[in-house]
Amino acid sequence: STEGAYGGDGEFQQNSSKVKIFDRDLKRIHRDRAAWLSRQKNDSFVDAVADNLLDRLEDCKKSFPTAFCLGGSLGAVKRLLRGRGGIEKLIMMDTSYDMIKSCRDAQDDSLDNSIETSYFVGDEEFLPVKESSVDLIISSLGLHWTNDLPGSMIQCKLALKPDGLFLAAILGGETLKELRIACTLAHMEREGGISPRLSPLAQVRDAGNLLTRAGFSLPGVDVDEYVVKYKRAMDLIEHLRAMGETNALLERNKILNRETAVATAAIYDSMFATEDGTIPATFQVIYMTGWREHSSHPQAKRRGSATVSFTDLQKQFGGQS
Amino acid sequence: MVRLNRVLLKDAGNVIDKTLSEILVCPLSKQPLRFCEKTKSLVSDTIGVSFPIKDGIPCLVPKDGKILEEEGDASKA
Repeated sequence: STEGAYGGDGEFQQNSSKVKIFDRDLKRIHRDRAAWLSRQKNDSFVDAVADNLLDRLEDCKKSFPTAFCLGGSLGAVKRLLRGRGGIEKLIMMDTSYDMIKSCRDAQDDSLDNSIETSYFVGDEEFLPVKESSVDLIISSLGLHWTNDLPGSMIQCKLALKPDGLFLAAILGGETLKELRIACTLAHMEREGGISPRLSPLAQVRDAGNLLTRAGFSLPGVDVDEYVVKYKRAMDLIEHLRAMGETNALLERNKILNRETAVATAAIYDSMFATEDGTIPATFQVIYMTGWREHSSHPQAKRRGSATVSFTDLQKQFGGQS
Repeated sequence: MVRLNRVLLKDAGNVIDKTLSEILVCPLSKQPLRFCEKTKSLVSDTIGVSFPIKDGIPCLVPKDGKILEEEGDASKA
């Protein structure tokens, strides 16, 4: 796999301006398929991530009347909102028309229609939202499929009103490490080489850089790890397909040799299977929090503007240390 | 009766609702969009592109946009 694509700031900057890593058209097709596969089914992992993300709204004293939900698991976000954040209007966007239609139909069927909800199809990389128009932006497990993640986040910041909140959850670099290892070994064994089967994902240290570079105030990043257990290796692949998380790399090998797939499953089972016979898969989720700048936010003073020196502090309090 | 109301609302929903009309702009130029009654689409006059509305859902992905003819009549339609 192409590890290291997000490894450093400079490297990342070059990549974002020159290289298109993901096939966005294929990702739309994946999400169209995911809309049908996940119909009438609630995903416990996706729900857990969305719930943890929305939990942060309870830590805020202010309310967010207008909220904007980017693609990813927007169905779960809508379902699990439960009055948090004081949201009155919710705008939902996805790159997949089928996914948007599926969410709207789910709302038509549900009894809870207290929040006024609007739907449209759009791309995170070309956000069609007016400047300073929303109070809150939520993205659960969607932004890691953008080619220009800094650009997407800058557009999110511009769409926020001053003192607006940006909440995002993306998959981190440790995600599916077992599958990555099993794929690599199987490929080397069967095909004598390696081709990218898993996407490059952001590392934890990159998330803070992204928030800062996009211009967010009070950036916060934390990480969680979820281990999902499956009965068979194929169940994991089916889960990824239902989430719309299958491979969309432009440089991907479009043919998967059956022998290689069987070898991958065998290696996965022999190396990682737990004592109860289940197959574990790790999902590392990076939560990002940022605010659009506002006069009430604390700001660092200008360099050299101090009125008290550390020497004076030392003299005053030195006896106690 | 409830189902019938939904169908009627959906048909009426070929025009986007007020919240979206206040917030949405062209994904490329970030300029306001104009609703075209004739083609039932959203038009960005700045770059001469129209975006479709399918079943009341605006599709504002750059790839879905159609470049309008450069004739003045077509762009004003």
